[in-house]
Amino acid sequence: MGNKREPSHNHTLLIDPEPLIKEIPQVDEVGASSAPLVSVSYFIGDRCAPYNEDFMLCKEQAKDGGEIECLKEGRRVTRCASSVIRDINENCAESFKLHWQCLNNSNYELFKCRKAEILLNKCVFEKLQLEKKIPGVKEQIHLKEKPIYKPIVEDRPSVIAYDLAKKEKHS
Amino acid sequence: MSQDLPPLQGYPAIQWKRNIPSRGFRPSIYFAIFIGTMGYGWYATINGIHERRELQREKIWSRIYLQPLLIAEDDRDNVRRYYNDLKRSKEIAGDEITDLKVYNDGKFRTPHYHWVDN
Repeated sequence: MGNKREPSHNHTLLIDPEPLIKEIPQVDEVGASSAPLVSVSYFIGDRCAPYNEDFMLCKEQAKDGGEIECLKEGRRVTRCASSVIRDINENCAESFKLHWQCLNNSNYELFKCRKAEILLNKCVFEKLQLEKKIPGVKEQIHLKEKPIYKPIVEDRPSVIAYDLAKKEKHS
Repeated sequence: MSQDLPPLQGYPAIQWKRNIPSRGFRPSIYFAIFIGTMGYGWYATINGIHERRELQREKIWSRIYLQPLLIAEDDRDNVRRYYNDLKRSKEIAGDEITDLKVYNDGKFRTPHYHWVDN
């Protein structure tokens, strides 16, 4: 109660602010939070599969965890993922924002944001030729016409955008 | 000597069964209704289970596609901290310290000790 001591385990003191040493090439981190990452994950999987697999193979074959050996592959992975996010931001910013905001409000459950997802997938496929595909299944669950599991309340902005897109298509 | 004998026409029939009118359907129909209800219930349940499994699979693949990216970022941060720790140790103790490794197996270990600036 009467203790006026400053906290000694302050987390701001425990962060090492030094940048990476100059011998190792720098790469910009992706810098996206969970919802945008979940939103673009399948497109990252589509475009960056070779880099991702190469990185995981390197990690697998390294003697220890491969932290230092696989830096090069890791930079490639990050650069590729950044390129996907940048491209989607340039080409499909509206539907992308709609989808990740919906995910943010829906506990990251993809089935609760199907309407926004349909718009995003369509845009990304037209502009970037990236497709969402779940491997090793007969039926792609995100394309199911009458799903049993539906959101109790649909995300309002995505419903409005979806209906608008539908109207434009018909007219 | 005359004996007490049954009447010549025989005894009248005894009503041993109560006359209760039968209600409802035949038992087989009830059975069919029961089986039908249960069948539909199982059909709906199994469909739901299949869909739930596919939704889970969707989530898992989404994570699998992100995992290399997250691991790469984390590794880079650990390597950065490791080399900076090494650099600081060299500044303090001179070039005699070439490595911070405690174990002799040559594996990379996440830096445990944090640097406090004060």
